[in-house]
This record gives sequence, C-alpha cells and structure tokens, in this order.
Amino acid sequence: MIAFESVEFVYPSGVKALDGVSLRIGDGEVVALMGENGAGKTTLLKHLNGLLKPTSGRVLVDGVDTRKATVAQLARTVGLVFQNAEDMFFSSSVWEEAAFALRNFGYSERVVERRVDWALKFMELEKYSDASPFMLSGGEKKRLALAVILAWSPKVIALDEPTTGQDQLQKEKLLQMIKLLREQGRTIIISTHDVEFAAQLKPRVILMRRGRIVADGEADEIFLDEELLRSCNLLPPQIVSLTKRLGFLGIKPSLKHPREVADEIIDRLEGLSCKT
Amino acid sequence: MATLLQGLQFQPGASVIHRLDPRVKLLISTTLLITSLLYLEVAVTSLVIAVELILSAISGTAKRWAKTVYGALPLVILIFLMNYLVRSFSEGSYCDPSIIYVSFATAYRLIAFLASFSIFFLTTTPEELGMTLTKLRIPYTYSFAFISAIRFTPILAEELQTIMDAQRSRGLELDRGNPIKRVRRYIPVLVPLIVNALRRSYELAEAMEVKCFGASEKRTFLRELRMKPRDYAGLAAALLSLALAIYARFFLELNLP
Repeated sequence: MIAFESVEFVYPSGVKALDGVSLRIGDGEVVALMGENGAGKTTLLKHLNGLLKPTSGRVLVDGVDTRKATVAQLARTVGLVFQNAEDMFFSSSVWEEAAFALRNFGYSERVVERRVDWALKFMELEKYSDASPFMLSGGEKKRLALAVILAWSPKVIALDEPTTGQDQLQKEKLLQMIKLLREQGRTIIISTHDVEFAAQLKPRVILMRRGRIVADGEADEIFLDEELLRSCNLLPPQIVSLTKRLGFLGIKPSLKHPREVADEIIDRLEGLSCKT
Repeated sequence: MATLLQGLQFQPGASVIHRLDPRVKLLISTTLLITSLLYLEVAVTSLVIAVELILSAISGTAKRWAKTVYGALPLVILIFLMNYLVRSFSEGSYCDPSIIYVSFATAYRLIAFLASFSIFFLTTTPEELGMTLTKLRIPYTYSFAFISAIRFTPILAEELQTIMDAQRSRGLELDRGNPIKRVRRYIPVLVPLIVNALRRSYELAEAMEVKCFGASEKRTFLRELRMKPRDYAGLAAALLSLALAIYARFFLELNLP
C-alpha cells in the first residue's frame, strides 16, 4: 500500500514539480500515470523509493515514511525501472548485471543464481546470459532493465516510460509481461504518454498536469473523456474515436479490443442487411 | 563536485559585465588569478575575493559564484590540513602560529584562485568564448573541443545524477564502508557515465561532419568582436591593477612570507 499525503516537491532550481499530491495505491493495482512532459510523473515515481523526499507532506510505503528509510531499504519493496536502460548497465555480462542488486541486498550465492536464472528466463533473455549488456538491441535492453529489477521480486514495480523507442512487437511483449506480473498480484505503476499502450492494460488512470493530479479513475471513464485528455495534451485511444463515430450503428463508445468491436460492427451490419 | 562545476556554466543576463568584450573579461579574470597567486597575504587575498564578489554582484551571478566557493570548500579544507600537517611535521612543532597562518593563507588563496575564472565563465556565452579563443589565434578545432567540453559539463552532471539514482534504486549504497570499498562502489556509476559520454562524442562528431565541420580553412563569425569605449575602460582598469599588483610584489616587496 502506497500513500501520498499532500506531497509537495520543489527542486533546488526552484521548480515546483509536485503541488499537493494526495493518492492511495492499493496492493495489486495497475496504475497508469499520464500527462505531458514536465507534468511531474517521473518526480512522483522517484518518491516511491525515496530517491526524492517530499519538501512537505509525506509518502508512506507499506506504512514506512520514506523520509525515515534509505533508498536501499525502500528499493526492496519498490523496484523502479528507469526510462533509459543505458543509464544503469556496467557489468561484463547480462547475467552479472541481473545479479548486481541481489548481491547488494546480501542474498546468498545460491539464491542469487536461482533468482537471476528465473528473471532472465521470464524476460526471454536467457540465451544472452554471457553476452555484454551493451550488445543487446533496444528492446532487449529494455527487457534486461526490467529483469534486473524483477530479480529481487519487489512487490511494487514502477516503470518510467517503458515504451519509448520500442517497436510494435517489443511493446506487445512488454504488455504480455506486465499482464503476467499483474497476475502474480504485484502492484504496477507505469508512467507513460503512450495512450494506446496504457489502454490495453485497462488500468486505473491518474492524469497529471503541472504537478497536480487532475483526474483519477478507471480507464473506461478517463479514456472516453476526450476533453479531459486534451486538457492534458493527450489524445484518446483510436478505438475510442472509432466507436464514437459508430454511434449511428448503435455501438457505444468503449475501450474494447478491436476484434470485439469488429464483431459488433459485423453483427450490426448483418442486422441492417436482413431488414432491407 | 557538481556545485563547483556550476560556477563554469553560463548564466544569461544583461548586466554591464555580460556586455563587456569577452577578451576584457578574460583579462580581468586573469588579473585576479595572477594577483591571488602572487600574494600569500590574507589581506590581499581578501581584497581579490572582495573584487570578485563585487563583480559577480554587478553581473547578478553572485549566487552561482558563491556556489563555486561553497563547492571548493572541501578542497580548501584539505589543502589547509595537508599544509598544516606537512609543515608542522617538518618543523616538529604542532601549534606554531606562523605555520597555522601560512597554511590558512594558502588554503584561503585557493578560494580566490578557483573563483577568479567563474566570473569569466558565468557571463560569457560559449559562442563568445569561441570568438575569444579564435582572436587569440587558437585553431578553431581546438577551441571547439574546449567549448564543447564546457557546454557538456552541465549535461554530464545531470546524467551523473540520473545514473546514481538508477544504481541506488538497485540497492547500491555509495556512502557505506571504508574508503577503498567506497571507491569500488563508484564503478557502477562511472562505467555508464563514460560509455554514455563516448557515445555522445561519436554522435556529435557525426552531426558535425554532416554540417561540414572544417570544410573551410578560416572560420567566420556572424557577430564580430569590436571594442567599445566601455571595453577600453575595463581593459585599462584591468591592466593597471595587474601592473600595480606585480610592481608592489616585486619592487616594493610587500609580501614576505
């Protein structure tokens, strides 16, 4: 359970990045943190494991005030995957890279071995175990960045812009993995402005603008509210625009899978052709 | 370290100092630097620091200038301690006031020394810096390298912060354990930093080649440097102070450490 209580955060430069943020995220929730660049998404994520401490207000992670714990302590609960995977790689092999955090946390070599093997397998990277992390492709690097965090199996996983620079296939893979993690009961918090990607997870959506939360609700609600999305410089998912225009067929605007919508259209059209 | 480097970062402004010809500013900073090196007198060093403070206050960069001084403090304290210990050890006496005075003066002088050029860097755009170096007949390839180094410093500092954040999120504790272990702990921070810097330099080289860098022998500038009456006044003041400082030091023998 994560709780933000009227959190304000001001950077040393004087920029106020969080301005009275209050929110609760329960165990096992999937949350998409959305908003344009500079809205405060990354700043909020960095509060989850204590990299940043609130200027005023407080952040509680499983009841622990982040100001009273070290980053290393909080990181065991909250795994934060950074936007740029290259900002963390330094080891000579993919396997060593994934083992780094486990050794920092003081796990025994046997546990390290088991966990690293599991995490690399989960992220479909086991065949690169001995390769240099720098030799991986963009998508593989992203997956390794996630594997590195998964290795110690944190309860909460926070991803900062996981889809930037990823092709469709990689995004699809990432989506499947996030769905699997959700089924394991983990809390997942994703900061993104990729509406299409977020819509497929049907998450709880938190919209941010200039350091404030402007909307907080289920994907079915928020993604249908075009005006609200536009006020945060976001566009609704394509499927919403499509279903909105199909109102004359009696189809309601929704976030359904394109296949379902296609079936619905066929149904309605068949109904129409029978009548004539 | 990052705060020390902030004193090298250009801060936009429209003050008299900002509009001064960069060559004159370079001379002013050099004068302050040489003066601070010539004397080991606390009074003279104080005077140099006071002039630096006044100049940075006029240009509205006093805050940044103070940050340089603040960032230099660990180094200053280190210099003081090393001087004090080495001198005391060789003299065999540990509370000789003259040793304390000399150690203090040496460390204090370092502040004036390190902060002298931040007045130049804080008020000069990288472009002006390039023009200055070219006017001093330094080949543009070299001055470009120098300018890029300065330009990339803040980016590097920012990246260092991100990398440290990323590694701390993986349970790395940078300030734990004995000094030797601590140095080893910096490997996960330094490797990504260097790799990223190398990659960026390749990208920069490619981008420059695309823009035909070095295609013509002599580079021309959109804006040319021209001395105005104000600049001549600054030049005269700087030269006079420099002459005075050298004269007083060597001919009046004011300073006898």
